[in-house]
Amino acid sequence: MTIALPYIDRIWRAEGSVIVPEPLTADEAFTRLDPLFQTPGTDYAVERDTLAYTKRNPAAQDKLATFTRGSLRVAQQQDGTLRVFFNVSSTALLLCFLAPLLFLAFAQIMVTVNAWDKVAMEAAEAAEGGKAKDEEKDETKPLSKLHPLDQMLGAPAPEDPAKKKKDKDKEKDKDKDKDKFDPTPAYVLAGLFFVIYCVGRVLEPWLLKRTLRAALSAQHGESVSGTGEFATPQPDAG
Amino acid sequence: MSGVQVGKRIIGADSPVTVGWENIGRVEGGPFKQFFFTWFQPAVLFGLIAFWYYAPNEWALASIGIALGLGFKVLLLGLEWINPRYRSWQLTWKEFATDLFYVGLGYTILRMVDSYIGDGVMIEAVQNAFDWGKFSWFTGLPLLVQALLISMIFDFGQYWMHRGMHNWHPLWVTHAPHHYITQLNINKGAVGNPVELFLIGLGVGGFFDFLPRAFLLAGAIGMAVSTYQHINVRFNTPRWWRYIFNTVEHHSVHHSQDYEATRSNYSGTWIIWDRIFGTCVDGEAELLGMEGGRRMDIGETMVYPFTEGYKSARAWVRKRLQLTEAAGQQPEPAE
Repeated sequence: MTIALPYIDRIWRAEGSVIVPEPLTADEAFTRLDPLFQTPGTDYAVERDTLAYTKRNPAAQDKLATFTRGSLRVAQQQDGTLRVFFNVSSTALLLCFLAPLLFLAFAQIMVTVNAWDKVAMEAAEAAEGGKAKDEEKDETKPLSKLHPLDQMLGAPAPEDPAKKKKDKDKEKDKDKDKDKFDPTPAYVLAGLFFVIYCVGRVLEPWLLKRTLRAALSAQHGESVSGTGEFATPQPDAG
Repeated sequence: MSGVQVGKRIIGADSPVTVGWENIGRVEGGPFKQFFFTWFQPAVLFGLIAFWYYAPNEWALASIGIALGLGFKVLLLGLEWINPRYRSWQLTWKEFATDLFYVGLGYTILRMVDSYIGDGVMIEAVQNAFDWGKFSWFTGLPLLVQALLISMIFDFGQYWMHRGMHNWHPLWVTHAPHHYITQLNINKGAVGNPVELFLIGLGVGGFFDFLPRAFLLAGAIGMAVSTYQHINVRFNTPRWWRYIFNTVEHHSVHHSQDYEATRSNYSGTWIIWDRIFGTCVDGEAELLGMEGGRRMDIGETMVYPFTEGYKSARAWVRKRLQLTEAAGQQPEPAE
């Protein structure tokens, strides 16, 4: 089932055409494109000048791994040249487009948990009336010494735990406002996925065109496989 | 396919596996390329050890360790581009985006969940339950000895957890999605079901009290060795390195489509654990995955342990019931 969503469907859909380098019939053009569809999980059917295909979870190196559904139509132009028009869609592009929302949601969960945590901590402190503070262990770890071998080799000595504790106490008030979970990585990942989507939206249709051109210009006997390196070249019939 | 006998096992009977160091590929190219891809791994390892050994205390922070780790991964992605081990493993846009999703889960929601139920919480509980102060002698050891012990003890725990996953079905269903990866690159270590990532992260190294610097050194050793297990770069790994450390060659054998080969090379950093316990197979493989290389999508990866666990549990209960029924219907034995 195809839902018509003009403009919006450009998020996951790519359209375009490539020129067929030599005079071929539609059947001959599809024969050259055939290796792209001879991969596991691929269903395709040719009806007159149109080939429709779907790929279920294609292999990583499948040349059409990103665009898992679509159609190819061979049509003669007014100037006599033959072109293959493609109209393909990609679940991967759509999911990548939506991924920033997921990571923004994670960030929001962290912000919410931080807020709860702060409220719970303040309530606990108020209930105990600062008791916990008085009872807080004032023990500091004994000063660790470096092994003589490390001293000889010049490794910096460990910090004095007493001094470290003083510094920590000073920073404690500063850290009081520090959140339990830092949402920064989630924001960074949301941004990263947006960049990856933009790259993919431009790169993948370009690579598709390159793949189709290579397949259409492949000489008889050459194979432009859907899975690249694992393909066994067809023996030359000539 | 006949396979090769390694100990009592036949490796490569189901799918091609190259066995033996003398048979694996070498870096192709000029003297500079040869030199670079022979000495890159040891240079980075010793460089990182020297850095953390001599870094001033203000630098010896976990945040700097994380930043270094991220920078290192970007550099390795570049090396994968320049000198891939197999072109059939080359990173595509879709694979990169998929891998980053798993990496992203690790840095966000899983980290959050882990802070409530992860090993940190368990270690704290155990440390509070016993007088671990008895182990304070550990901090008196030379820094590198502490670091090596932390790294090796942690990897020892991982080795047995990983081996357990390959030998006990309830653990296997959590680990299986990771074995559906069909190619290796540095982010593939993050690909898998979150339950497995949680289990494999449980370590015993943290029970000891140690100097922070020793912990950073141990992290550096782990990073400079175990990151390579999923890398798609052809190295001329030095003989001593591959004898003691895990390599992508070892790990590709572990991820091979050959069943017997997957039951080898369980360690993450120290392959000597596999050598000691008789599970090491030296070699490499290109064809990876399960079910003939079927790629598992994100949705299936997330639910696989639960759906497969349910199926297995149902089958087990049915089998037990049938056995009980069959036993009940048996005729009385003749006297």
